[in-house]
Amino acid sequence: MNYDMLVVGSGIGGMESALKLGDMGYKVLLVEKEASVGGKMILLSKVFPTLDCASCISTPKMAATIHHPNITVLTYSEVEGIRRDGDGRFQVKIRRKPTFVDPALCTGCRQCEMGCNVAVPDQFNADLVSRRAAYIAFPQAVPKKAVIERGGTSPCTFTCPAGIKSHGYVALIRSGKYEEAFNLVLESTPLVGSLGRACFAPCEEECTRGGLEGPLPIRRLKRFVADTHYRDHERAEVKVPAPNGKKVAIVGSGPAGLTAAWQLALQGHQVKILEAAPQPGGMLRLAIPAYRLPAEVVDQDIRNVTALGVEIATNTRVENLEELKQQGFDAVLVATGTPRAAKLNVPGEELQGVVSSLDFLRAVKLGTPTDLKGKDVVVIGGGNVAIDASRSARRLGARSVRQVSLESRADMPAHAWEVEEALTEGVTVLNSWGVKQFLGQGRVQGVELKRCTAVFDSAHRFSPQYDETTTERLDCDAVIVAVGMTPDTAAFAGQVQVNKNRTIQVDPATLQTSVPYIFAAGDVVSGASFINTAAGRGRKAAFMIDRWLQGKELNEAEFDPKLPMVDKAEVLQRQRSHSRRDPVVNPVTLSAEPRGFAEIEPPLTEEEALVSVSRCLDCGVCSECHQCVATCPADAVKMEMREQKVEAEVGAVIVSTGFKLFPADLKPQYGYGRFKNVITGMQMDRLLAPTRPYNTVLRPGDGKVPDRIAYILCTGSRDQTVNNPLCSKVCCMYSIKQNQLIMGALPLADVTVHYIDIRAFNKGYDEFYEQAKAMGANFVKGRVARIKEKEDGNLLLYYEDIANGGRINEAEYDLVVLAVGIQPNLEAGKLFPGGQLKLDNYYYVEEVDEDLNPGRTSIDGVYVAGSASGAKDIPDSILHAGAAAAQAAAYVEKVGRPS
Amino acid sequence: MSMPNRDVREIIRDEHLMRNRILKVLAPGPQTIPQIAAALGYPTHEVMFWVMGMRKYGYVAEVKEVTDEGHYQYQVVEREGA
Repeated sequence: MNYDMLVVGSGIGGMESALKLGDMGYKVLLVEKEASVGGKMILLSKVFPTLDCASCISTPKMAATIHHPNITVLTYSEVEGIRRDGDGRFQVKIRRKPTFVDPALCTGCRQCEMGCNVAVPDQFNADLVSRRAAYIAFPQAVPKKAVIERGGTSPCTFTCPAGIKSHGYVALIRSGKYEEAFNLVLESTPLVGSLGRACFAPCEEECTRGGLEGPLPIRRLKRFVADTHYRDHERAEVKVPAPNGKKVAIVGSGPAGLTAAWQLALQGHQVKILEAAPQPGGMLRLAIPAYRLPAEVVDQDIRNVTALGVEIATNTRVENLEELKQQGFDAVLVATGTPRAAKLNVPGEELQGVVSSLDFLRAVKLGTPTDLKGKDVVVIGGGNVAIDASRSARRLGARSVRQVSLESRADMPAHAWEVEEALTEGVTVLNSWGVKQFLGQGRVQGVELKRCTAVFDSAHRFSPQYDETTTERLDCDAVIVAVGMTPDTAAFAGQVQVNKNRTIQVDPATLQTSVPYIFAAGDVVSGASFINTAAGRGRKAAFMIDRWLQGKELNEAEFDPKLPMVDKAEVLQRQRSHSRRDPVVNPVTLSAEPRGFAEIEPPLTEEEALVSVSRCLDCGVCSECHQCVATCPADAVKMEMREQKVEAEVGAVIVSTGFKLFPADLKPQYGYGRFKNVITGMQMDRLLAPTRPYNTVLRPGDGKVPDRIAYILCTGSRDQTVNNPLCSKVCCMYSIKQNQLIMGALPLADVTVHYIDIRAFNKGYDEFYEQAKAMGANFVKGRVARIKEKEDGNLLLYYEDIANGGRINEAEYDLVVLAVGIQPNLEAGKLFPGGQLKLDNYYYVEEVDEDLNPGRTSIDGVYVAGSASGAKDIPDSILHAGAAAAQAAAYVEKVGRPS
Repeated sequence: MSMPNRDVREIIRDEHLMRNRILKVLAPGPQTIPQIAAALGYPTHEVMFWVMGMRKYGYVAEVKEVTDEGHYQYQVVEREGA
């Protein structure tokens, strides 16, 4: 991209420079960091001294800028750096921030904004009111296109292996949109209720709130929306898509198979699940104990799948995958999980009474449990399945349950909370022991243990080491072995490539096996994992199968692209303070003598759910709740949009980066940020603007119409205590402007201005000042020492009254306006490397020849326009921008335009 | 007014959570900010953020007349497109 000119910043100065240059026939690139051109002027109420409507005179310039044939405007973009070439031209690097909305499609209807569930302070209304994460900057924005603010992926969402938008459903619950929250989870998996109970919730481990009082109960919130939905909907209500004529067979109905079936059926594929077991659900149905996951919840989740027309054939073992192709299926997904229990391979393992955990748990769930009443049980294993077996054994009436783990307590693979719960339920955990042999004649009578000295080798491979001389004997009546699970893929060997550990070999990127139409996913590929992980892999398999069936290249598409995870420290730093909000306690019902398999974890009440979601920090800003996607009538929301880097060569540069306002809280004696009815001049301008945040001028503390309003001039300017000796030039006049507007809007209001000097220096300014006085504004010469807030929100000002002998007076006001000064925008100096662009003593862009060549900077070919070089009012900014444009044009004529 | 100030971002984040509660408070008829705050048990300046956010997004609107105490009353309105 080549342009004659680069203008950085599109405030009134930048627009003026760009327009003048464009009118002269130069090709101009205008870069603006916000989503709209217009800078600060468009946010003002009126301009002084004419009291013209700021919007009315800004918007034509904004529109002219955007539509000018010689001006290319990049909004929501930032100049990352500018380098001057030896030939006097400039190489520019620009970052185009993703708006996540296609500007060509967006009509500016604001439907996305209206449906958005994240509220943040509206910087365009000086933080007096909220805006949404999806927003149009302000009503007169040019271009009037929506932007979605995304700070990254929220940690909860980023971490979920199932791809569930956890932050999204939390935000939807916060808005009372429970059904939408349920549907958002459904976008990823049909297993809403099951994951709401049995997921190990890595989202909670990553929750930023965990760094404060503790994480949100994100899993239980999912259960809340599932329970609410299933309570209100006896039948699954899903929109069945039109069939596309393709048939897919899925072997296995665990989390991976069910999720894949759901996703494929949503795409219109005809899906049939073939399940070897008598009931569908895989581990959900046959392994996870009912006290954690009741069978009816699994049924409810599976009904989501069958409601889409997915057929599930149980008691159907598949051994020949090729036959499925012959039966008319276009693609096959193998998702048979890890149904085989691993063996210890120690003497006595064949004794009666030694059972695998899978067989044991399966029998319990199918209603044919082993009789353990009054028996002493030993469970071998340190993982979650072993814990499930131990706790199930206790529920079946075992007199004692001793769980033997190779690992130390700290290193047990089971989640610490599960171990704690097992201990509470009377399970004894014996750590750092391995099994030497099972003892007994025909039937197991005991276990001989040997001390385990190390579980992993130096490369952290599983390689247990034992001290064979240190042994222990446990007498028992039954043993449950829970030392791992493996796939059952012997029948598939020869059809697809099977690894030594019995997992199926696939292309990890596409999940395609050595046979193109056969895919595999879940634990049968990865080995034993978690249900959320398996669900996520099933979802990915569906994505790939769908592409394959459409004849699309598999490697070309990125599955489930995510923005990088947001920096949690940055999230916490967005606020100066965080009020304490303790987590809702989880009163799991535990008994030292547990009986029966009733669910032990109670549901969150609605109140508890709402309290819980109120703790969410909206880490990623946008929650990815997808309501904007659903409501946009133009299909303009593009969550896959990403940042773009643009490079350009330009002939000259105009820096028009404007100014910053003095942060009023740096004058703590005035109480800004602490006293609710102390506001800044910009906030008052917003209250007076036609697009104001309130219905009229109200005080923010309680919405009262203010009767007595005070202004404190020179807040942060002409003030050595804040290192700003400069006069800001505009504060006197904007305050006087506001005085007149207030007296127009609130005829009964008294306005008092506390000032040092009134600087009314331009044409018509002094008359404007006199006019305000004539209207009734009261001017008191002298500094305000401090402000005190009363209980009713009124403010006591202690001020010096120079005209009356300099005594210190006290006066009470409803509202105080701090006429904050202007500060340099330090971003200007960062545009060029190594401090090439010189700043003056006050950190404004230095004009090296201010008297004779206004706008010229320390770099030949770089000019400054408007208040980037010092405080200016609007007419002066426009004049200065015109001068900068003329200088830039002369420079380009001298060095020649970029080819 | 004596309650410690919460961060503005935190207050504003609660808007969606408070919306249904405020709509419930306003269901019988228009209320001023102090009246809504009293009904909810929250500080007036926090309620101001929420009600003004709801006004911006079309859930409530002001009643034209100001009360003797100098407050506007806000009432539930039918939301455009809802």
